[in-house]
Amino acid sequence: MLQVEDLHAGYGASEVLTGTTLSVKKGTLVALIGANGAGKTTTMRAISGSLKPGRGRVVLDGQEVQGLDASRIARLGLAHAPEGRKVFGPLSVEDNLLLGAYSRLPRFFGFRTKAQADLNRVYDLFPRLRDRARQASGTLSGGEQQMLAIGRALMARPKVMLLDEPSMGLAPVIVQEVFRTIRRLKEEGITLLLVEQFAKSALEVADYAYVMEHGRIAVEGTPDELSRNERVIAAYLG
Amino acid sequence: MKRILLLRGAELIVFACLATIPLLVVNPYALGLLTLLAIYGILLIGLDVTVGYLGQVNLGHVAFLGLGAYAAGLAVTRFGLGMGPALVAAMGVGLVLGSLLALPALRLEGPQFALATLSFAALSTTALNELEGITGGAQGLSLSRPQILGHVLTPSLFYWLCMALLAVVWMLMRNLLASQWGRAFEALRDSPIATDAMGVGTYRHKVAAFALGSSLGGLAGGLYAFNFEYLQPQSFTYDLMIILLLGVVLGGRKSLWGAFVGASVIVLLPNLLSNRHLFQIFSGLGFALALGAGLRGLVKKTTRPFQALAPVVAMGILVVGGLLVENTENWRKAIFALMLFSVVVGLPEGLMGFLSIFLAKLFRVPHAPLPVPTDIETLLPPHAADGSPLLVLEDLKRHFGGVRAVDGLSLTIRSGTIHGLIGPNGSGKSTVVNVISGLYTPSSGRILLRGAVLPSGSLYRVSKAGVARTFQNLQLFGELTALENVMVALRGVYRSPLPLVLLGLARPEERRAQADALCLLDRIGLKDQALTKAKDLTYGAQRFLEVARALARKPDLLILDEPAAGLAHPDVVQLIEIIRRVHRRGISILLIEHHMDVVSELCDVVTVLDGGKVIAEGTPDEVKRDPKVVEAYLGQPAGPSEPSLGGAEPLPA
Repeated sequence: MLQVEDLHAGYGASEVLTGTTLSVKKGTLVALIGANGAGKTTTMRAISGSLKPGRGRVVLDGQEVQGLDASRIARLGLAHAPEGRKVFGPLSVEDNLLLGAYSRLPRFFGFRTKAQADLNRVYDLFPRLRDRARQASGTLSGGEQQMLAIGRALMARPKVMLLDEPSMGLAPVIVQEVFRTIRRLKEEGITLLLVEQFAKSALEVADYAYVMEHGRIAVEGTPDELSRNERVIAAYLG
Repeated sequence: MKRILLLRGAELIVFACLATIPLLVVNPYALGLLTLLAIYGILLIGLDVTVGYLGQVNLGHVAFLGLGAYAAGLAVTRFGLGMGPALVAAMGVGLVLGSLLALPALRLEGPQFALATLSFAALSTTALNELEGITGGAQGLSLSRPQILGHVLTPSLFYWLCMALLAVVWMLMRNLLASQWGRAFEALRDSPIATDAMGVGTYRHKVAAFALGSSLGGLAGGLYAFNFEYLQPQSFTYDLMIILLLGVVLGGRKSLWGAFVGASVIVLLPNLLSNRHLFQIFSGLGFALALGAGLRGLVKKTTRPFQALAPVVAMGILVVGGLLVENTENWRKAIFALMLFSVVVGLPEGLMGFLSIFLAKLFRVPHAPLPVPTDIETLLPPHAADGSPLLVLEDLKRHFGGVRAVDGLSLTIRSGTIHGLIGPNGSGKSTVVNVISGLYTPSSGRILLRGAVLPSGSLYRVSKAGVARTFQNLQLFGELTALENVMVALRGVYRSPLPLVLLGLARPEERRAQADALCLLDRIGLKDQALTKAKDLTYGAQRFLEVARALARKPDLLILDEPAAGLAHPDVVQLIEIIRRVHRRGISILLIEHHMDVVSELCDVVTVLDGGKVIAEGTPDEVKRDPKVVEAYLGQPAGPSEPSLGGAEPLPA
């Protein structure tokens, strides 16, 4: 479903990604782990188009998308729940969710009716968002904002969802909830690429995983294989 | 030394050339232009302080030119003062009125500040125009250059005077900007909150910077008056202000050379416009520059196509227009507009910013070698840690509207301990930190540090009292290097009074600050990246730098607000080691953190908050077993750093 080949990208003169190759099969959950500065978030940004890759290919559902605008890539079926959540603070929870569906629904008439089914689906997944539908999203707690960011990505009915550090800055009990949610998304058949600091938890939910070092993939394999790899254990699983 | 010679060499050569010009050139018109160059140079250096260093759009600078000019003019005509006192009066008017404008205006931000300065400019032009009894109103004010020590000031002598003053201003400003003052100006642009929290008063530095810039505006005004010997309020209007902004932006912000280049351009502009042939050459050069800069940007992938193309098109219009239009002078404003547009889009760093890339390659000036780091024992002598109460919160409350973020919190942090503060998201931890550190004022309750009431509601005063903090959402000074980030915060190093700093006599102090900062960077393993800009450091390094910067305050209590957020396992291990080292210096720490393994590993005591209240307190092991904590915060006791995820678990309702 998503294929990344020899991707190079960076900021200004400094190249962060030096040839990343990975692939995500339909309906699977792939985890991307590694140290800070290894290039995980940059990979996500280069795939979703918020950063223009310098070289390499990104293929989404058979179509090359590298170099396209982020909005165009989103319309082609890629949803990005970015690091730090980035919800639209002053807007209500429901408006945030509706914006998630913006790219695929009509602009003027029938927007809300057509979006209603998806709204209900997201609210069923996260009942707490339904309770707070009218509240400004900036006033939600960190955990609720993370749910909202995931919900907003879901509203686009994406072919692939990128989840960047969903557990960042959250209390342990909420982190557990986030991982339960991820597991549930996976059961619903959503194709997911997950970046996570909690390497152990990420490996528990993933079907396949990549370990990044210095802007490229250093090790890859099934979670079982990685959990037995001594280098990975020493560096990331502690 | 070689570096200093190279850098200073260029300045010496340029000023020497400028000084010899009156001996070689007899054309009075050319000399007049060069005199104006010196005056505008001083004016733009002043404007650059607010626009470049403070990063504020200042539309009132032209008013200080006018007020200074009239002050000098009136001092001579009404009070019969000499040139020296008249120039001092012009500067004084700029300084005083600048401070008066800055005090309210700098409480505003962005567009509001720009509007406030714009109103001031409108007000002062109107006042100069309408106060006919004093200023002569629209009739203008004629004056003649007073003698100095019995010498009549010929154009050459006046030129030398202006150039000498520009050189003096240049030198003093360079010394100032290379000191803690310059760093403070840049720091408060990147993060005003952190600047206050590092014990550098944001507001007072902003006001000082603005008053300084305005006084230079006043000085330039005084020279302007003696240059033209005739003043009219209409000379100091928005038209001129736009040209001044063009000068600063085109020359390059945050650069004395930039101000000089900008001044040259705006002095030469009217002449370029009056001669069609010259204008065609000039626009051709502009076109070539736009093309070169655009292509270079595209090849190096530092610019987007729009950024590269737009200036080329704008300059192309100038070239074509120059061929079509009979009288270029009538199109003056359109030409300025196109130029300003091209520069803002194509050369955001200005001409000097663009050229400095090549100049740096040409000269390859190495950075001055860094001093030997100070010994940690002298920098941070071990605190006595006796377990006595260091920070005491008494029934602390902070409400936001109806939300009780902190609701009656009492807490004692004992000296020499690492005290953990945990709790679910929204339990009030961040609010507690923000209240203690002075970002928020408590709704009620008391905070005592060593038994004395801690100042409330001021980051700056809390920081001065000996409490330092880091920020969960990093608040580093991105444009400053790692070393400078720490240097900004250093406590008790900068003692030299302003005059010594201006004269460049504070260098030993600066070396000591570097040595101290380097020692702290060494502690967090960033000594080798001391000269990297903070924004170019890896995420982990940025987190560590926050700790080092807070340490530079030499605090009694260090508050770490989620230092491990977003850190991967190897970095977390390093962070724990860093915090241990800090603790070994006897510094007490309040640690807010979600990574339970960090908390268990480090903390002597842990307080658990929920709903703004304490629900448990004790050793890490005790609170981990507390059923209330497990329910509200930890989830299953399996261990929070590895949330267990049994598939059969019920989903959250």
